[in-house]
Amino acid sequence: MKKTFIIVAIIIVVLFGIYTFFKSSYNSMVKLDENVSEKWAQVENVYQRRADLIPNLVATVKGFAEQEREVLVGITEARAKASSMNINAENMTDANFKAFQEAQDQLTGALSRLMVTVERYPELKSDKNFQELQAQLEGTENRIAVERRNFNTATKEYNQTIRQFPKNILASWFGFEIKPYFEAVAGSDVAPKVAF
Amino acid sequence: MKFLSDKHLIKQLANLLFVIFFLRILVGAPVLAQIPQKPTPPKFVNDFTNTLSVSQQTTLEKKLVNYNDSTSTQILVVLISNLNGQNPSDFAFALGDAWGVGQKEKDNGLIILVKPKTNSSKGEAVIATGYGMETSIPDALAKRIVEDEMIPAFKNNDYYKGINNAIDAVINLASGNYKADQTEAETSPFLFLISVFAILFVIFIISASKNSDDINGNGGSGGKKNHNISSFLTGLWLGSLGSRSGSGSWGVFSGNSSGGDFGGFGGGSFGGGGASGSW
Repeated sequence: MKKTFIIVAIIIVVLFGIYTFFKSSYNSMVKLDENVSEKWAQVENVYQRRADLIPNLVATVKGFAEQEREVLVGITEARAKASSMNINAENMTDANFKAFQEAQDQLTGALSRLMVTVERYPELKSDKNFQELQAQLEGTENRIAVERRNFNTATKEYNQTIRQFPKNILASWFGFEIKPYFEAVAGSDVAPKVAF
Repeated sequence: MKFLSDKHLIKQLANLLFVIFFLRILVGAPVLAQIPQKPTPPKFVNDFTNTLSVSQQTTLEKKLVNYNDSTSTQILVVLISNLNGQNPSDFAFALGDAWGVGQKEKDNGLIILVKPKTNSSKGEAVIATGYGMETSIPDALAKRIVEDEMIPAFKNNDYYKGINNAIDAVINLASGNYKADQTEAETSPFLFLISVFAILFVIFIISASKNSDDINGNGGSGGKKNHNISSFLTGLWLGSLGSRSGSGSWGVFSGNSSGGDFGGFGGGSFGGGGASGSW
């Protein structure tokens, strides 16, 4: 009689221990996952901010440097491509993440080419409207760098947690998958040089 | 023989684990830029270059402490002689995050970073806005402050004027956006209850030890020990009381010393807003 009681008590304690472990691990993974999604939303925000700036920028540059058609078309196309690429924090795969990053990096490249071209047009450079757009673009590139870094930090924390034993077992049961990082492509994390 | 090779394998595995462990420490180490240590007591004006005179620093510090007291907005001024090749803006954001300039929920911190011009390197000026300051000081306006208020004065080697003008411009733009919280009202009832219990507990211990002294008469080490414990507890309690009132978030005003007049940085963060320029 007493023996069964002890056994039952032990089973209850063990079950409770397992439950607590499951609960805390699962909840911590959910929290980290949410954090990554939140940071990803910020990344998308700042990229959107840049995309919103571009039509204005292109229009302003056109007013002074009509002949730089090639550069301007390059930007417009790169923007269209980057804007068409939307990925969700939930269904991030290495492939679509890479495509997203490539499209955005192409736009970054096109913009820095524009900023080099602009050097040849002193009137454009001294235009108040253009100067303001330049300042906004510079700030946006800075924001992109910051939010990408924040996203990477959050992702790293998440990945580290779901890959560690014994949480990795739970993570595979519940479908928590490793998320991709931003990689520093040459020049992509550096704001285009904006000189006055 | 089999046993030996097993042992060998285990040893190799252990070595491997050791290496992995250290690699992880190396890789995991934050790639944080070299950010100067937060000064203690915290100051708003941090001149690591000795460009500003002491009285200039005091004047600016006073202005910024007053501004922090009335608006909770924290404006940090940093003069640094060497950025170690980092992008000045990145440096400013990293510094702001590391020191936590601005209040935590409002992110209303702002950094004015200046790297004075030297013979071998050009000067850099940055205004970095915390997330909460981005609306009142958009990048284009920050750029204008850098180009119109700061750099012209810096070109004349008048660093004080440039910084002071920038502060005035920022204060002007941000006016009315934030108000300082009334921190006095924030004592929670829970804390109050705990203090009451702590007081009662101490009184109880003291009276108990007195009783035991009485009972023991001239009684030996037992009573003495009890008394020691009670005075220790009283000391502990008084100590915690002291530290609690000391760390209150309303800065204790201590006249005209040049630092530590505010309650410390609030943990605000920076998202890349602001502008920079060089000369």
